[in-house]
Amino acid sequence: MSNQDVTIQHGEEIKNSTGVSNKKLLMWAFLGSDVMFFGTFIGTFMAYRNKSLNGPYPSDTLDIPITSISTFVLLMSSLGVVLALHYLKESKMVLAKLWLILVIIMGMIFMGFQVYEFSHFAHIGMTPQANLFGSTFFTLTSLHGAHVSLGIIWLIFLLYNEYKGNLTSENAIDLELAGLYWHFVDIVWIIIFALLYLITAGDGVPPGGLPWIAGQ
Amino acid sequence: MSILKDLFHYNGNGWWRIPKTSESKTNPQYEHPFGKFAGMSKDFWTFITSGKGHASPAYYWAIAIILGLITMIEVWWFDVDELRYLLVPAMLFFSLVKFILVVAFFMHLKFDNKLYSTIFVTCMVIGVFIFSLFLVLSAFHGLGN
Amino acid sequence: MSSIIGPKQFQIPRIFPRPMSHSGIWYWLGTVDHKKIGTMYGIVSFFWFIMGGIEALLIRVQLSQAENDIISPELYNQLFTMHGTTMVFLVVMPLSAAFFNWLIPLQIGARDVAFPRLNALSLWVFIFGSILMNISWLTGEAPNGGWFGYPPNSTIQFNPGNGMTFWVLGLNVLGVASIAAGLNFIVTIINMRAPGMTLMRMPVFTWMTFITSILIVLALPILGVAGIQMTGDRVYGTNFFNSEAGGDPIFWQHIFWLFGHPEVYILILPAMGIVSEILPTFARKPLFGYTFIVFSGIIIGFMGWFVWSHHMFTVGLGPAANTAFTLSTMLIAIPTGVKIFNWLATLWGGSIKFTTAMLFSIGFIAMFTIGGLSGVTHAVSPSDAQQQDTYYVVAHFHYVLFGGSIFAIFGGLYFWWPKFTGYMLNERLGILNFIIMLIGFNLQFAPMHWLGLDGMPRRIYTYAENMGWELSNLAATIGGFLIAFSVLIFMVNVFISRINKKLASGDPWDARTLEWSISSPPPHYNFVEIPKVEHIDDWWYKKYPELLEGSPKQTKSPKVTVEDTSNVDESKIHLPDLSYYPLFVGVGLSIAALGVIYSYALVTIGLILVFWGCIGWSTEPVNEPHEKHH
Repeated sequence: MSNQDVTIQHGEEIKNSTGVSNKKLLMWAFLGSDVMFFGTFIGTFMAYRNKSLNGPYPSDTLDIPITSISTFVLLMSSLGVVLALHYLKESKMVLAKLWLILVIIMGMIFMGFQVYEFSHFAHIGMTPQANLFGSTFFTLTSLHGAHVSLGIIWLIFLLYNEYKGNLTSENAIDLELAGLYWHFVDIVWIIIFALLYLITAGDGVPPGGLPWIAGQ
Repeated sequence: MSILKDLFHYNGNGWWRIPKTSESKTNPQYEHPFGKFAGMSKDFWTFITSGKGHASPAYYWAIAIILGLITMIEVWWFDVDELRYLLVPAMLFFSLVKFILVVAFFMHLKFDNKLYSTIFVTCMVIGVFIFSLFLVLSAFHGLGN
Repeated sequence: MSSIIGPKQFQIPRIFPRPMSHSGIWYWLGTVDHKKIGTMYGIVSFFWFIMGGIEALLIRVQLSQAENDIISPELYNQLFTMHGTTMVFLVVMPLSAAFFNWLIPLQIGARDVAFPRLNALSLWVFIFGSILMNISWLTGEAPNGGWFGYPPNSTIQFNPGNGMTFWVLGLNVLGVASIAAGLNFIVTIINMRAPGMTLMRMPVFTWMTFITSILIVLALPILGVAGIQMTGDRVYGTNFFNSEAGGDPIFWQHIFWLFGHPEVYILILPAMGIVSEILPTFARKPLFGYTFIVFSGIIIGFMGWFVWSHHMFTVGLGPAANTAFTLSTMLIAIPTGVKIFNWLATLWGGSIKFTTAMLFSIGFIAMFTIGGLSGVTHAVSPSDAQQQDTYYVVAHFHYVLFGGSIFAIFGGLYFWWPKFTGYMLNERLGILNFIIMLIGFNLQFAPMHWLGLDGMPRRIYTYAENMGWELSNLAATIGGFLIAFSVLIFMVNVFISRINKKLASGDPWDARTLEWSISSPPPHYNFVEIPKVEHIDDWWYKKYPELLEGSPKQTKSPKVTVEDTSNVDESKIHLPDLSYYPLFVGVGLSIAALGVIYSYALVTIGLILVFWGCIGWSTEPVNEPHEKHH
């Protein structure tokens, strides 16, 4: 059978070299690349840990209980996406829409917590310009927040299409792709929570009082 | 590789390497190095994963509950002062476990084509290795001078 | 995302109708055909090649005499910064992308890449990103901190003004283009090969593209991070590289070179792929050690991650780190050497035809080896301590980048020109092009070896009279003008050949890989029937099947000829329709980046364009439903 009428539109139905969906492969490759992106920021944060010369230190500013709640919310939203996808594949549209709405709400709650946290920090004088902790913390969490926001917009768009009847169990792969992205964003937050919040929250004034670059 | 398979999988003759009998039927239900607990977990696992050819929602709820529990343990650990000296390894371990659970099950990587796993794991390995190298270099800046 | 097509075919309302015609400006602006995109990449990057070359000539004119004052120090800084940035990001990378775009679908037997609109996006983001970076010339403040932008020199405190901000934003935008292209080619090469084309039957160029794409996808995000951090420092006052707040400028060097070293492999691997295609064709012998060449490429791609601090030997990392990186850098010379020997073995005993493409490839082997040898001297950190920041380094990287990548690219241009355009380039002019380029290149860069060892530093706008450097610098300047002349010959060649239009058959070189089995230029659908592949160099063995049985004699006439496209029923062949959304997103992204410097209104406009473009793109079906396919 010749591939003469092979189209290049959909990755999922055609026979290609590996049988693997083009779009899903693209998404996984993209997530691999995003690993390097976040990895560099996290690496910078960890390299600059305990090196701030002044200003609000992590122990003064980070609020673990609040952040635990937002972490939990984001984790549960991951569950929500998986359930929404499951119900979509089984064409249980009411449940699928419900869970997608819940995911979007949980994502927005998470962003709400982030906004609250940022404004609270600004109040107590911790800004990106204040010190190293501020710079690294804010860029990392802002970029993560930007990723979450893009994810929310994507999910809203998919929800809209679900209501219009355009998103069904046949093209459930589109929700699956958004789900992969959302899970990835959640994983990054898991790592950020552990490294930026839990491990760093005890950091006060650097040991010895002087940063290492001052000739230790 | 088959040694590992033999060591950690029971095929009716116990978990140590004994030549297979002609009927390789699994008979002893919980004959396993860790005894009854591991066997029961495996049964529970089969129960919750036996959807209609695909995982049932209960399966995802189970993972989510585990994730929630781990998060609570993390926060609790952080609060307890006596365990503070183990904070870093504990946090790294817990976040690693959460990471693997989300990637393998929520992102379905365990059940999908191995190509996806290859890509993602390679990127993770390169990324983590390089940034560890970077951290080591920064920490030991000037070593030997 | 294009399959949100359901019972109610939702599309975002269009302000402009979807382009449908296959001629005219809208065709070129909305094309998603990999061949047209490759052509546009080639033309735009050749333009930047000329620009970068002019920047180089100005540098050479200034340096030709001691204590010259034709160019002010400030302008000189801008010139060498933009020359380096242009050549790396706006010339070699996109010229390689032009070849990827043209050749990968043809070599693997596909009709297009996996994501044609994403391909178009890469092109437009590249074009507008390159314009963004070069707009800075018009403001009078081009970037002036070197192509590597080290702080503290590039911080806002010591480098006020918008120059370096343009640089850093331009690089981030260009990074988006590269990553999109890299992702696209990874999926294409994994998933869209013709039946029977296993990974180890792919042409070497395809393999090198694959490895390069993986490197791009992993390395460019690191540059993106560095760029965001630098932008934060310059525009928003963050403290990443601000030593007053405890920031460490060395971290920039780490992050930049973590990107930068894989980047140079991104620059050279496609060139190595091109050479691996040309040599067997004109030696009429299979590539020697295909498996070794492929695996060396993989090892180079992998090991390239562990050597970055060899750019930082003099920064004070300490003997332990220096030793580790010396070892890893010396190790990476091994797979490269394996490739060189395999190429030589390919030539050995072959029936060699010295066409222009072959001359450039042999030139590549020689020049790249010289560059590699000077590189090995850099690898050893004690000797690097003498060579760092001298012209010896300049000689090294020009030998590998110009004598390596550019020679190979020119070779590729001469080799594949008939395939791309349907007519042959004049061979005599081509040989003249090669000879003058070779002489000019060596005249320009060989003296830099001893200039560097004699102590001439890099990035100085002039030098004292009594240093004894005048003669070598003058020779280098003459060499530079010879190179310019040779490029002019190339352009004349293109022009004359276009006029003479000596039509090329599908397979003018009697070559080996699948792209030569179709007409020149290929029809828009590439292959009448997707081929079934049975061997490496499948086309060669389809033509001369007796070679499979080991017969040393080869019949003069091939058993099969180029595909006949006269009786094709085109209605059965589905190709994606045009789309202008990639253009929108490309323009929007660059406007948004420009807005970071000038005004938030621009950022908003840019982001609106990007969002509109993305939503339009995802709701637009790949093919319009009632359209009669061409």
